[in-house]
Amino acid sequence: MSTVATGLKTANDLEQYRRHLLGERDPRAHRVRVCVGTGCTAKGAKGVLELFNRTAEEAANDGVIVETKCTGCHGFCERGPIVVVDPGNIFYHGVKREDVPEIWRESLTGGRIVERLLYKDETTGQVAKTPDEIPFYKAQHRIVLAYNGVIDPTKIEEYVAVGGYAALAKVLTSMEPKEVIDEITNSGLRGRGGGGFLTGRKWRSARDAQSEPRYVIANGDEGDPGAFMDRSLMEGAPHSVIEGMIIGAYAIDSSQGFVYVRNEYPLAVQHLSTAIAQARELGLLGYDILGSGFDFDIRINRGSGAFVCGESTALMASLEGRVGEPRAKYIHTVESGLHEKPSLLNNVETWANVPQIILKGADWFASLGTEKSKGTKVFSLVGKVKNTGLVEVPMGMTLRQIIYDIGGGIRDDKAFKAVQTGGPSGGCIPARYLDEQVDFDRLTELGSMMGSGGMIVMDEDTCIVNFAKYFVGFLKDESCGKCTPCREGIAQMLHILEGIAKGEGKDGDIERLEQLGTLMEDTALCALGKTAANPVLSTIRYFRAEYEEHIREKRCPAKECPGLFNYEINRDVCTGCGLCAKKCPVEAITGERKKPHAIDQQKCTNCGTCFDACPFSAVVKV
Amino acid sequence: MPTVTIDEKPYRADVGETILEVAQRNGIWIPTLCHHQALEPYAACRICVVEIDRGGWWQVVTSCNYPIRRALTVRVNSERAIRARRGVMELLLARCPESPQLRRLANRMGVEGTPYPHIAAAQENCILCNLCVRVCSERIGASAISMVGRGGDRTVATPFRMSSEDCIGCGACAAVCPVGTIDLIFHEDEVEISPFETRVTLRRCAECGRPVGSELVNEVLASRGGPTLVEMLAGDAYCLRCKRKKLAERLTAAVPGNGSGRAAQERSLPGGTNVQTGLHAGNPRSIRVGEAG
Repeated sequence: MSTVATGLKTANDLEQYRRHLLGERDPRAHRVRVCVGTGCTAKGAKGVLELFNRTAEEAANDGVIVETKCTGCHGFCERGPIVVVDPGNIFYHGVKREDVPEIWRESLTGGRIVERLLYKDETTGQVAKTPDEIPFYKAQHRIVLAYNGVIDPTKIEEYVAVGGYAALAKVLTSMEPKEVIDEITNSGLRGRGGGGFLTGRKWRSARDAQSEPRYVIANGDEGDPGAFMDRSLMEGAPHSVIEGMIIGAYAIDSSQGFVYVRNEYPLAVQHLSTAIAQARELGLLGYDILGSGFDFDIRINRGSGAFVCGESTALMASLEGRVGEPRAKYIHTVESGLHEKPSLLNNVETWANVPQIILKGADWFASLGTEKSKGTKVFSLVGKVKNTGLVEVPMGMTLRQIIYDIGGGIRDDKAFKAVQTGGPSGGCIPARYLDEQVDFDRLTELGSMMGSGGMIVMDEDTCIVNFAKYFVGFLKDESCGKCTPCREGIAQMLHILEGIAKGEGKDGDIERLEQLGTLMEDTALCALGKTAANPVLSTIRYFRAEYEEHIREKRCPAKECPGLFNYEINRDVCTGCGLCAKKCPVEAITGERKKPHAIDQQKCTNCGTCFDACPFSAVVKV
Repeated sequence: MPTVTIDEKPYRADVGETILEVAQRNGIWIPTLCHHQALEPYAACRICVVEIDRGGWWQVVTSCNYPIRRALTVRVNSERAIRARRGVMELLLARCPESPQLRRLANRMGVEGTPYPHIAAAQENCILCNLCVRVCSERIGASAISMVGRGGDRTVATPFRMSSEDCIGCGACAAVCPVGTIDLIFHEDEVEISPFETRVTLRRCAECGRPVGSELVNEVLASRGGPTLVEMLAGDAYCLRCKRKKLAERLTAAVPGNGSGRAAQERSLPGGTNVQTGLHAGNPRSIRVGEAG
């Protein structure tokens, strides 16, 4: 173990410390890295790590030195818990406690490979030894996620050893604040939280704001259903975020920063708290950072899980201790934000990009991506896709590449129907646009948005009305209720959608939804309300026929809307076991034992109990 | 001094003024609901939206809080602005179909009815404009009520929906409510603020028994060092009407040549009465009678 330094006085001290840390490292060391991100932990990674730790302790007594290490999320949460063995960067997935002795014996100490725990491509049957050989990772380009799965997020030494805080040292020793802002501007970095506003321009406005003090804020209130990139970053590489924030603070002359993170992310809160304490101890936060005369500190504020608090003004109200409700942004928060002072708020992922841009240069960053969307973007790829998880790709990659090459295609090889990007404020993109490039502007043109990077894949069995209804329902629960269009408009939208899904849709419903959408877009107070209709408007735009089928023919082609299809028993498959009849709550199923049963449609309430109960899949939706 | 062009006519404006202020000063009507000149703009009802020129595109903004910083071109009566305001009104009508005040405003805006069903269940007949909450905190300083719940569940309520200890029963919330939902209900010796079920002791006119106001208001005003309600009402516990009547009687009696025994008696009061003018201004302070009385 390396010794922990305290109070680095100069940039040179930091460099010395890094060399010292690297010098202590044995490149041939036997090391096991266990992912303890939230996904892997949920699948039992803590138990795996604990067993590795115990085995290592026992082995140490016998003189066998194996380093065990916990890391942040690798992104391939679908296959967790993930364990990587060095040397060799051998990638094991789905590791259970029972597998630990074998990995220890064969791989860590024996130098062999445990083949059954390696990734095997379903289609080609090819076995991958290292992450680079796995299609899920092959097409990715990891900049902000570079340290996830590599370093221990709870140890600042690990971050320093891989070059952490070198960007900060560079900024403090050789760059004027204006130069820092120019560098960020030239890189073309745009906000990763949703809006895609030019980060450099935002920084400049904050710098130019007349009033003092100025505040720096990281938005870690990730609330989109199915999105977890910010969580994984805060958990897996908290120092990247902190370093970015310090650089931003230096650029706009701020001495106080805040990380607003939702309390539902306990591990992120824990790792950030640890990271901040360690950075303070090293002299990278606090007074006179690295002897530059620049002071800055960060505190963590926990949000209590209101989706709307991800909106900048609501977030700031919450930071002030008030109810998290948005206010008009006619005067921008960079001029008058937190406590009515200039406030520079960026998303966690945006901050994590900053040190890399400073280190490698604006030109390098601008060389990645498309004309107006530079760099990479982390997406959380979820839904009906084979490989779910976090993926970081250069802007401009096509939807097809992300969903098929990285995501491995649609689960059970069903047909792709649509992909929802940008969370509840985003929209659905149908199959005919699969070859479109993913960047800020193109997604907006398609009626969706980048948002924070959620990507929910739907297959042919997904009902588009039901899907829109889900998001509208989510937003109804999450609307703060302050302004009329959002509060009343979303409720009316949901009312109409519920009607359609129940078979009570009528002519004019689609037009009414469109009218409501336009009204909300025009008149709602904040972005939540303004974009709330997007899931509805985009699905109407691309799947109008499916809405009409629900309304006119009272039919749900995907058979997801209860009431718009019937359950029947396939006589050829039914064995007459009687299980369905026993479970049916309304006694609608009758039949002789060992003979095909039948459902009395007059009595059936479409509850679906028989469908779930039948062990032979004889109950079908028609 | 920037020029604000509203519907193609130029108007002078000060930096920091809102579009609504400029419009109102120049007699241009923009409907409002959550706006009150005594309170900070809140911009929640969205009924006051107008269009502004953003150089190439027109943005819908709320006029009540959009600050004028430089020359600005505004459309109050464009098709889009009218459609937006009417759309908001339709949503509000669906929420509060019962309110005559809201229907009157809707009529004035050219909205006959609403295509939407009444589905909001959280609070009957309240448009959640927050005026009551804001007047209570910003002006009265009591903060006895607040917004509770989120989204469709949002309501105005006292803490734990119990009779509030912070309410002083001043009735300001009822006075500012634009849809007539908050009422003062006078009981024997209490005034109830409906629908909050808050009750405070009531002071009644010593002469006619009409409600004068809340006893607590008296105490709060006294604690703030200003004139108390009783003092405002001329040093005794009469209601405004009785006070006027009494004053009128005294004045009548005091006019020379109108001499009755009572008038002579009044005149001979030591120091006389120092009657201030402004009897009809409707301001309680205006009938305040000097210390000598």
